[in-house]
Amino acid sequence: MRVEYINPFVEAAFDVLKEVLHTDIHRGELFLKSATQSVLGVAAIVGLAGDVEGRVLFDMSAETAIEVASVMNDEKFTSVDDMVKATITELANMITAQAVTKLHELGFKFDLTPPAIFTGENMEVTDTEVEALIVPVNLPMGKLEINVAVRERA
Amino acid sequence: MKTKMDFPNINERRPEGLDENGRPYRVLIVDDSMFVTKQISQILSSEGFEIVGTAGDGEEGVEKYKELYPNVDLVTMDITMPKMDGVTALEKIIEFDKNARIVMISALGKQDLVKKSLLLGAKNYIVKPLDRPKVLERVLLSLK
Repeated sequence: MRVEYINPFVEAAFDVLKEVLHTDIHRGELFLKSATQSVLGVAAIVGLAGDVEGRVLFDMSAETAIEVASVMNDEKFTSVDDMVKATITELANMITAQAVTKLHELGFKFDLTPPAIFTGENMEVTDTEVEALIVPVNLPMGKLEINVAVRERA
Repeated sequence: MKTKMDFPNINERRPEGLDENGRPYRVLIVDDSMFVTKQISQILSSEGFEIVGTAGDGEEGVEKYKELYPNVDLVTMDITMPKMDGVTALEKIIEFDKNARIVMISALGKQDLVKKSLLLGAKNYIVKPLDRPKVLERVLLSLK
């Protein structure tokens, strides 16, 4: 996968997370994952279709999702309830919207699906046709993984 | 001796959400995200605005506006929503009340839709992520 697809997502994630969490964040080492990967517990998925196709997953543990939503709402949550899910969905929305703007500026044209949220334990995601690149982002609330599996449409 | 009556008290600043008669501006929030609805509602309520209604999609937004009319001063309108998008809902509200004051709430990258909305009669727009100064500034400009 060409790195020019993933950079806009990473830059957008950093910009948006810094703004909504009012905190410093650190990027971990980028790595390529095998076809099947575990999902941390709360994952927002956004699909891409057009010149570029595939999906982007924003993945974090339930505890991290609760903490992130608590900061964004200025209110303490204790479980992954509807408001926590709505907050993480909106976070995924803001990050992808910003990334897509950058990709459009680079000349790639495509549409996005609305984000869907998966929650649960022991989940896995398998991409058989597209390799996935993962960028771990270290937040004070825990780790968030930006997992991008996209390719150019043949 | 001067009494404290002589000094303006900075704590007595009039909340931004009140009109010249001290009456709260009445706001309808149209957004499919619980999170964004709550965020806007908290920011505006803390300045004295009154949230008179919320709607989760464009269709419900238009209905709520008609129900509330004329007792509504401002609408915040999300652009991407199920059933009916915010631009269509804006058109329908303006059709019904050409003086409606509507502020569009947009994600980044929707410049074309924002432009279209402004041409159709939206008073202003706010790009997410939302923050307090940005929301208050754009909302107040739209009410002037």
